[in-house]
Amino acid sequence: MNFFLLASLILAAVSGLFSLTRQLQMLQQNSYFPSRYSSWLMSNIPTLAVAAYLISSVLFYFELFWLQAAFLAVTAIINIIRAVKIQKKSIKKLVFTGRIKRLFGSAVLIYTALILLFSLLENQMLSKLCAVILFFVALLSPVTTYICWGLTLPIEKLFSRYFINDAKRILKNHSSLKVIGITGSYGKTTTKFILTRILSEKYNVVCTPQSFNTTMGVVRTVREKLQPQTQVFVCEMGAKNLGDIKEICDIVKPDYGLITSVGAQHLETFKSVDNVFKTKFELADAVDKKQGSVFVNGDSAELISRLNDNYTIYGTDTTFKYKAQNISYGRNGSEFEILLGEQSVKLTSRLLGLHSIINITGAAGLAYELGVSAEEIRYAVASLKPTEHRLELKPCIAGSLMIDDAYNANPEGCIEAVRVLGSFEGMQKVIITPGLIELGEREYDCNFRLGLETAAKCDIIIFVGLNRSKPMVDAVNTTEFDKSKMFVAQSFKEAMEIYSRFADSNTVLLIENDLPDNYLN
Amino acid sequence: MKTNVAVFYGCRSVEHEVSIISAVQAMAAIDRSKYDITPVYVTKDGEMYTGDCLFTIEEYRNLPELLKKCSKVNFTRENGSVIMKHENSGLFSKKKSVKIDVAFPVVHGTNCEDGTIQGFFEYLGLPYVGCDIISSAVGMEKAMFKDVLKGAGLPVLDCVCFRAREYVSDKQAVTEKIIQKIGFPLIVKPVNLGSSVGITKVKTENELDDAIMLALSFADKILVEHAVTAIREINCSVLGDADSCIASVCEEPFMNDDILSYEDKYLGNSKGGQSKGMASLGRKIPADLTEEKSEEIRKLACDIFKALGACGVVRIDFIIDTETDTVYANEINTIPGSLAFYLWEATGTPYRELCDRLIELAFRRQRNRENITYTIDTNILSGVSFGTKGSKGAKL
Repeated sequence: MNFFLLASLILAAVSGLFSLTRQLQMLQQNSYFPSRYSSWLMSNIPTLAVAAYLISSVLFYFELFWLQAAFLAVTAIINIIRAVKIQKKSIKKLVFTGRIKRLFGSAVLIYTALILLFSLLENQMLSKLCAVILFFVALLSPVTTYICWGLTLPIEKLFSRYFINDAKRILKNHSSLKVIGITGSYGKTTTKFILTRILSEKYNVVCTPQSFNTTMGVVRTVREKLQPQTQVFVCEMGAKNLGDIKEICDIVKPDYGLITSVGAQHLETFKSVDNVFKTKFELADAVDKKQGSVFVNGDSAELISRLNDNYTIYGTDTTFKYKAQNISYGRNGSEFEILLGEQSVKLTSRLLGLHSIINITGAAGLAYELGVSAEEIRYAVASLKPTEHRLELKPCIAGSLMIDDAYNANPEGCIEAVRVLGSFEGMQKVIITPGLIELGEREYDCNFRLGLETAAKCDIIIFVGLNRSKPMVDAVNTTEFDKSKMFVAQSFKEAMEIYSRFADSNTVLLIENDLPDNYLN
Repeated sequence: MKTNVAVFYGCRSVEHEVSIISAVQAMAAIDRSKYDITPVYVTKDGEMYTGDCLFTIEEYRNLPELLKKCSKVNFTRENGSVIMKHENSGLFSKKKSVKIDVAFPVVHGTNCEDGTIQGFFEYLGLPYVGCDIISSAVGMEKAMFKDVLKGAGLPVLDCVCFRAREYVSDKQAVTEKIIQKIGFPLIVKPVNLGSSVGITKVKTENELDDAIMLALSFADKILVEHAVTAIREINCSVLGDADSCIASVCEEPFMNDDILSYEDKYLGNSKGGQSKGMASLGRKIPADLTEEKSEEIRKLACDIFKALGACGVVRIDFIIDTETDTVYANEINTIPGSLAFYLWEATGTPYRELCDRLIELAFRRQRNRENITYTIDTNILSGVSFGTKGSKGAKL
């Protein structure tokens, strides 16, 4: 047995364990789906690791073991430094959960076993084979990742089985608990928070936290958040495949359901919108078993075509059971009326945009059926807080009003924001925007459309960035818009200076997709 | 899964025993099919005990024996929950700990009812039944209570307040002020005690000094107010929170003495030694009042409850000057003896349901608070480099 070769093996193992942190971090962030991890891997091939492996293999082949050991020592040091650096600067770091610990444990086990076999086996060929395998799996850490994932899978299945059964037991002992399932391609998280806020006027409510919408996320919420005094559990259900929603429903057995929309999301796994539709309506099937009602957003074009009388429909159309009407926007945010029972209730909310109003309407209708009074709904809706920089209404200079939509970089969202601005009737409407970026081929068209919309809805236009704003300026020039009311500023600061000339208490300013100044030229 | 309700009672208070009676009654009334009950008996030394024997009133005759059967506990916060830990446990066994979901204080008097125990719950982050710190504290301090009511335009009797040192250093001046502003007959009260302890009615000047000295032995601050001679005492209970509350029927306690003494309130009908607290006191329910007067008092009771920002169940004691037919608010009990359940039974709410409502209100307040942001999740200090010696980092 060669001492240098043993040293090489140990160094390769150390190197492998450290570079594994990055791989496991990505596996974890891809919810332990090897397929999703693979697609990340495809676009992030660790070329340096491959190079290191090839060099190491060559040295091994020519039996330059002392040189290989020296090379791997350097590799190990580089990998340790890299691993620490990556974890330090990652926004979403690797979380050392039980599962990650088990994955690391199995990697240590594999490496140790191979090194032991190498040193103990009498047969030269077999011994060398062990070395070859170890170099392969350790230096190419994604290989270890796949092997460990496979090895620990049966244990993980046992664990999830236990957690799922425990969650079922907790829910069974909680006989008076009402469970509400929320799903949809868009808007389910917002609707969940709105519904939770309204229901909390009357009940002790627990909802799944921010992004816990998978089966195991729901199970964890049940096991960790549900209190004996909890009366309502609002459960967001996410889906990427057929049967995902059914799996969650089989655990939580929802009494009510709410479907916010069906759209072309996650088509890479769903294959067709039809499958998306089927999956979302697994929630409706589960609710039917408990004779509860299912609320469906009638304004979602994909949905309305497939509805029947069994559903409670909400939205903006007058034929719907819960409908938002007489919508207007002003200093207090959005105002609209909805019919609860026989009573027409006027709601005011700081959330802007038609989608928000529809979400509120659905949540208010469901809360009303659960016994929350119109007065309580009014108060809860008035106290809803907008997400920061997402159509956020705030005071601005000279008593004017600002709609801060700085984080919106989505073309449809931008157009909708300009429409919201347009509906502030009787006020002077101003927009400051640098337009949209990073849209590739579509960029010119999207900005041109945004320009047309601003010309149609605004009184004063301030674009930011001479070159950037060209498509929008072109668009405005094709319209009747008064050119003396269109400005192009060099920077956001300059844009605000121009704005200050017009701002008064009857002005509303939309800041759309405000970018850092270094983007502009 | 049942909600675990910890009932706190006893405490370092002159009304320690009254609290025991009220708490044992309450624990018997709480619905066991919905709630688990954890009794937390706080001794006069402020130590906390729990045990199954605490449910039976007879056990309290021999306190040292009782405590031997119980185990000493303390409370901590772990992973977002409040945990009650047993301090003494077997040599090898792990310390027993129980999760508490809500606290139900049934305590009377200073050092507990006055915001002290509420502060303890707030500090733990434990939802609790009844008034919060401010309303409890103001409710206990009779002078401040009057000020708050005056500020809200609600009727109270005028009073003179002074401190012990002020009186001792210049009795003459204080006496003159009292005579000039209030006149005889008058009532001398320590500002911060409930249950009539240390209260004397004074008819002439030469009784005044004794009355004040007695009151001073209970409190540092004294309140003197006019004694209404043609008087009826009417009590009314209020249930709810500052957003919505309802008043019970009114009661009229019978007075054996000129004013209701501590013995009347809690030891009345106690020949057999079997005290049943406020519920057994001689009283007429509902009070013999005109519909109009009764409504006036009940409305007033709700207004006072809201002015104070109270929560849970309280009892407000009123005085009617029968000569002028004027109603005055006299005092508030933020945790009334026997939780005023006898008034609610007469109003049509059984004691069990009353306890249910009280626990619900505790969770409601908790929810309202959670809807307001209290902490900022990011650690502001994480981005600051502290100016240590030699470094040039920004200093705070």
